Amino acid sequence: MTYIGKPIKRIEDDRFLKGLGKYTDDIKLPGMTYAYILRSPYAHAKINGIDIAAAKAHPGVLAVYVGSDIPEAVAGVPCGWQVNFKNGDIMKEPPHPLLVRTKVRHVGDGVAMIIAEDRATAKDAADLIDVDYDVLDAVVDPQKATAAGAPLVHDDVPNNIAFDWELGNPKEEVAAALASAAHVTELSFVNQKVIPNAIEPRAAIGIHDAAYDKYTLYTSTQNPHLIRLLMCAFVLGLPEHKVRVVGPDVGGGFGSKIFHYTEEALVIWASKKIGRPIKWTAERSESFMTDAHGRDHVTTAKMGFDADGKIVALQSNTYAGMGAYLSSFAPAVPTYLHGTLLQGLYTTPKINVDVTATFTNTTAVDAYRGAGRPEATYLLERLIDLAALEMKVDPAALRRKNFIPAFDGVEQEGYVTQVALQYDSGNYHPVLDKALEMVGYEDFRKEQAAAAANGKLMGIGFSTYIEACGIAPSAVVGALGARAGLFESAQVQVQPTGKVTVYTGSHSHGQGHETTFAQVVADKMGIPMEDVEIVHGDSDSVAFGMGTYGSRSLAVGGSAIVKSIEKVLEKGAKIAAHLLESSPEDLEYAEGKWTVKGTDKSVAFGDVSLTAYVPHNYPEGLEPGMDFSSFYDPANFTYPFGCHIAIVEIDPETGKVDLKRFIAVDDVGNVINPMIVDGQIHGGLAQGIGQALFEEAMYDETGQLINGSYMDYTMPRADDLPSFEVDRTVTPCPHNPLGVKGAGEAGCIGSTPAVVNAVIDALWKGGHEVKDIRMPMTPERVWTAMQG
Amino acid sequence: MQLKGKETFSTSGQQLWDIIMDKDKLAAITPGISRLEVLGEDEYKAVVDISIGPVKGAFKGDLKMVDKDPPNSVTMKVKQMSKIGNADVTVHLHIEEISPTQSTLSFKGLAKMSGVLARMGQRVMTGVAATITKQLFAALQEEVQKLKPNS
Repeated sequence: MTYIGKPIKRIEDDRFLKGLGKYTDDIKLPGMTYAYILRSPYAHAKINGIDIAAAKAHPGVLAVYVGSDIPEAVAGVPCGWQVNFKNGDIMKEPPHPLLVRTKVRHVGDGVAMIIAEDRATAKDAADLIDVDYDVLDAVVDPQKATAAGAPLVHDDVPNNIAFDWELGNPKEEVAAALASAAHVTELSFVNQKVIPNAIEPRAAIGIHDAAYDKYTLYTSTQNPHLIRLLMCAFVLGLPEHKVRVVGPDVGGGFGSKIFHYTEEALVIWASKKIGRPIKWTAERSESFMTDAHGRDHVTTAKMGFDADGKIVALQSNTYAGMGAYLSSFAPAVPTYLHGTLLQGLYTTPKINVDVTATFTNTTAVDAYRGAGRPEATYLLERLIDLAALEMKVDPAALRRKNFIPAFDGVEQEGYVTQVALQYDSGNYHPVLDKALEMVGYEDFRKEQAAAAANGKLMGIGFSTYIEACGIAPSAVVGALGARAGLFESAQVQVQPTGKVTVYTGSHSHGQGHETTFAQVVADKMGIPMEDVEIVHGDSDSVAFGMGTYGSRSLAVGGSAIVKSIEKVLEKGAKIAAHLLESSPEDLEYAEGKWTVKGTDKSVAFGDVSLTAYVPHNYPEGLEPGMDFSSFYDPANFTYPFGCHIAIVEIDPETGKVDLKRFIAVDDVGNVINPMIVDGQIHGGLAQGIGQALFEEAMYDETGQLINGSYMDYTMPRADDLPSFEVDRTVTPCPHNPLGVKGAGEAGCIGSTPAVVNAVIDALWKGGHEVKDIRMPMTPERVWTAMQG
Repeated sequence: MQLKGKETFSTSGQQLWDIIMDKDKLAAITPGISRLEVLGEDEYKAVVDISIGPVKGAFKGDLKMVDKDPPNSVTMKVKQMSKIGNADVTVHLHIEEISPTQSTLSFKGLAKMSGVLARMGQRVMTGVAATITKQLFAALQEEVQKLKPNS
């Protein structure tokens, strides 16, 4: 192998670093017009009327549309995942209109679209629109939303409950196990609402080509085909073969660009009406208000231990905020991506998870880097670390005692959990061992004790996490309520000269597909990386695809590529055998040529590919050409895992937390490009640490987002973070051809509880026995906790 | 946002009440209010110009006086709209006469904001509210001084 496993620099960075990347907003078309969306300043208000006369008359304005202009048949953007109530009723799924007709439900809800010759004119005209609002009381807390008398976000959804859901062992069994436990740790906490903050704001261009009656949508998305499917089939009722969706270079998403947003459908719908291309680009404040947010859980959980420190049961009850509408995959996040992960790395025999999903007058919540698994990890890892403090045992030893024994998924069966999953392969002790060695655990504990004696507060926090990615086996997720398949496609097209074009349905928004996939293809085909081009993001060139999220690109998309390569090489062997006057079984393929075993007779890949397209001397009955497509549907999720350790120091005077060290040992299966994996881990860590220490979407009681700008919303910065110490173990995935598990989300999933646990540990060692500090752990909150 | 303040003035409760109930004097002493126009009984149109940190804008809206209990207390409801967001303020004023030459004015209330004002203004609002309160009390002290025959 020449490429796999090497830290090859990213091919795409050449254009990104030179400013040659092509993002949606970079696209300029003849006759292009610009849309601006007038948004609700209120979290909850009835619309009595909208006066658009002055805006329409404003010079340079081409059209102004309000909710009543949208055809009745267009109900709004759909939800792609159905979760049923415990009693079997279908979840409450109120429409999410493209423009609000009667009632706004969150700050930023779209009220009118203004299309003008330029962006400034559209914005000026928006100022001339007079909306007559009746302001209503708002509800922002996912738990308080269910209280009697709480304002109703949707009039026909009682108690604001979208659905309730339960998984695992019967509650009575869990309660009985907790009742007989030697120790029960109970914790109530908030996993706060956070804002994804992709560096490139969302943007969309709608184009209608009257000559062919065909639409093109350029959009900053993680999954062009999925947007096409949702928009055509469920929103606008357009024939899919008449719609092309292109996701050009995409500057980050973290999940927020998976979903089908109203603006995409609006620019397509209006483009035919005005007969000119329409561009909409979010301003940063719109990103804060309208990109789907993450997390927003209010949880109470109990973990019981026997006298030996073995976990005997876990009960978790969560209120999960959905925001004002059900976004594309929102119902899956607190349920099948959260409840199913509450086994963690532990042999807990009884687990029950109970979730109530509620509507609030806030921006919709959906998958955000990790999507449900960070919430599950936070729950488990906070509880077990707190239990260790309460029981006065070592947190590493307590984990070790409860780890599931190693299994490779080949010789030993995959581990079947109490919460509906079967882990593929796992070996959990080595990640903890390695991390402890890196941190110098025994020395640290001595240093910590010495620091405490000097009045300094030092703490260490652990997180040993598991996640489910490589999303997803279609039959499994279908049974769980997914309204789409989650396979991936790949086409490997060999050109006559032996150069290779690979079309993948996964889509980079920063992951480095063009490099990692080229490494795989070049190695598997025995050709130079320069001879491989990875094409993604355009529904007209890529046959089909489900996009990139859930750490799936390599595990699912990469596997589809491998399948197509196998088909290419199988056909190539037939042609080579013909040219070598041998039989395919007598050939071996290596370093770009087929050789008759035990001889020096060989034919190069490029000669075979040329023969395939110039089939003058060709095997009888074989089709010309060398071009294969494959669809790969994984047999199972993949289950990366790892151990994260944070070391903090707290200033006792101010409560400021200083993150001194962060150690991450992750097992993401086989690694194609270690530099890219390290980069993914680093980014994920920064994001997870950001949630622990800095970030929160803050709403006041009237539902106003009060920190919707970079002056107010705290992003983690380089000088807030230490130099990360990262390493790996490798437990290959047994069920995909590359043995890979996925690395995009791991850093964000494991890191948050490690930091919080470290702060709690520091406080306990300093004599402040607090159970919880609400994230983000600002100096004020830490200081207040220290005052008892 | 919560609002509150308290100040002592060397005048009677009735005189303090009269100043506040005089729309021109009220407009003169309240920072940001340039004019109050009568709309009806205890109802005024207020022309406000406010500049708070990065948030600047001209507001229009009204001011209503309700639950009047002369010369002891009144509730003022102020609704202001602008392109940068809307403000909905309710303030309860309470006058307590300690002696014929000494009275205290206290108030508490709630300001609800929306739009850019809420999103970007809240961070600086508490400080601004404190400044406005200080200016208002200083101006009211001046008005009280003007009532004194020998001043």
